[in-house]
Amino acid sequence: MNIAELIPELLKGLLNFTWGNAVMITAALVLIYLAVFKEIEPVLLLPIGFGCLLANIPMAGMTAAEGMMGVLYDAGISTELFPLLIFIGVGAMIDFSPLLSQPKMALLGAAGQFGIFGTLILAILLGFPLNQAASIGVIGAIDGPTSIFVATKLAPELLAPIAVAAYSYMSLIPIIQPPLMKMLTTKKDRLIRMEYAPKPVSQKALLFFPVILTLVVGLLVPEATPLISMLMLGNLLKASGVVDRLNKAAQNEIINIATLFLGLVIGATMDAASFLNLATIQILGLGLIAFGLDTVAGLLFGKLMAVLSGYKINPLIGAAGISAFPMAGRLAAKVANDEDPNNFILMHAMGANTAGQLGSVIAGGILLSIVSHLV
Amino acid sequence: MKYTVKIEEKSYEVEIEDIHARPVIARVDGQRFEIHPENGIKPEATQETRFIKPIELPKPTASQTGTSRELTAPLPGTVVEVFVKPGDEIELGKVVLVIEAMKMKNSIRSTRAGKVAEVLVHAGQTVAHKQAMVKFE
Repeated sequence: MNIAELIPELLKGLLNFTWGNAVMITAALVLIYLAVFKEIEPVLLLPIGFGCLLANIPMAGMTAAEGMMGVLYDAGISTELFPLLIFIGVGAMIDFSPLLSQPKMALLGAAGQFGIFGTLILAILLGFPLNQAASIGVIGAIDGPTSIFVATKLAPELLAPIAVAAYSYMSLIPIIQPPLMKMLTTKKDRLIRMEYAPKPVSQKALLFFPVILTLVVGLLVPEATPLISMLMLGNLLKASGVVDRLNKAAQNEIINIATLFLGLVIGATMDAASFLNLATIQILGLGLIAFGLDTVAGLLFGKLMAVLSGYKINPLIGAAGISAFPMAGRLAAKVANDEDPNNFILMHAMGANTAGQLGSVIAGGILLSIVSHLV
Repeated sequence: MKYTVKIEEKSYEVEIEDIHARPVIARVDGQRFEIHPENGIKPEATQETRFIKPIELPKPTASQTGTSRELTAPLPGTVVEVFVKPGDEIELGKVVLVIEAMKMKNSIRSTRAGKVAEVLVHAGQTVAHKQAMVKFE
């Protein structure tokens, strides 16, 4: 090999570096900055940011099929394994007592999914085919694993922007939701106190709930079975009280490892060539609309419940019906508490939030069921 | 919000930051005052003050009345911090302790002013809904 051939070989990284790579590396550094210095969803944004950084180093080969990211993608994303493993951990962290003691909160979990279908229609009007439109709509639930699960099945080519939108908006919940909450509720609404008095939930009910829900949802919406069953498996580990080690493993090691690799791989799909385009901007915009519509629908339904109940229900809990467990539930409680420091609606908000988590999984399953038959 | 209040032929410019906050922070001709409305006697509306629109405040629940000698837990959870001890004089609205419920920290404020007689809970203790946590003299 002569020198003339050697120099391009030594400089191939720099020679193949594009302005797009520079833009994406800047985006990666912003994500890492937000995670480290602002502590915004660091568990997600740090690996996504680092994965994005790696994806934009030309000729590194990490994102090639035989590279580490390629292998992890095939192992955990194409097979839908990572979102499902994450759901085992999420299930183990969820306490369904507030929902079981106030079953009417399930209505808010259903209302909070309206934006998914509203955005689906909007995306079709913008020219996205049905499979892509359905995947974009699911961003509205702000449920990362469900968004990834649906996108992998229906529109894997849009996985990167959809996952990035779902996780970015999850970290922006405290910024996006409060203005909508204030716009759609009056001060009087936000001051409604909800006395903590849910009926006691028996251990048997907590134990049977995950099993029965898996069977009911599985039989009605088979496409939702992988997501709902893993969510409920995690919950059963917790509710059973007999497998403490497995429960702790689900809440820690399993979800942590899956989140690390999922974040890295999602970040690694953000290479300049496939990420910097009009579709990404449209998806980020539509995702934001979906999120807003879901929140608005939840709040309006909360308002309806407030009126029908004679102002005994604080409509803020409607905003927790989107999913985004447990951030949305905590935020609704915080907004009510900021308005009146002696008002604690946490349990009610968490009831709506767990209903929203179930709602987004079921809505994702329904979309998979309908769309996979139509396309 | 700004009000003009006339008392004995003298006008005062009163600016209230948030009528729902406790204490209510009011600036009268630039001087700052902290007011605890639930502690005082409700003044009779006079000819001069009647123009101020009454603002409806949330009604305190049984466990949150300012007359109760006990501060009870408004929600179940684990006490993670206690900021008062017997003998402390505390104001209405002061953060007395923090209860963690569903991994969210909730500041529990005093629903009355007075001297703490007894603190019935400690950090790390689980409390049930309406369980007495602090007794006042």
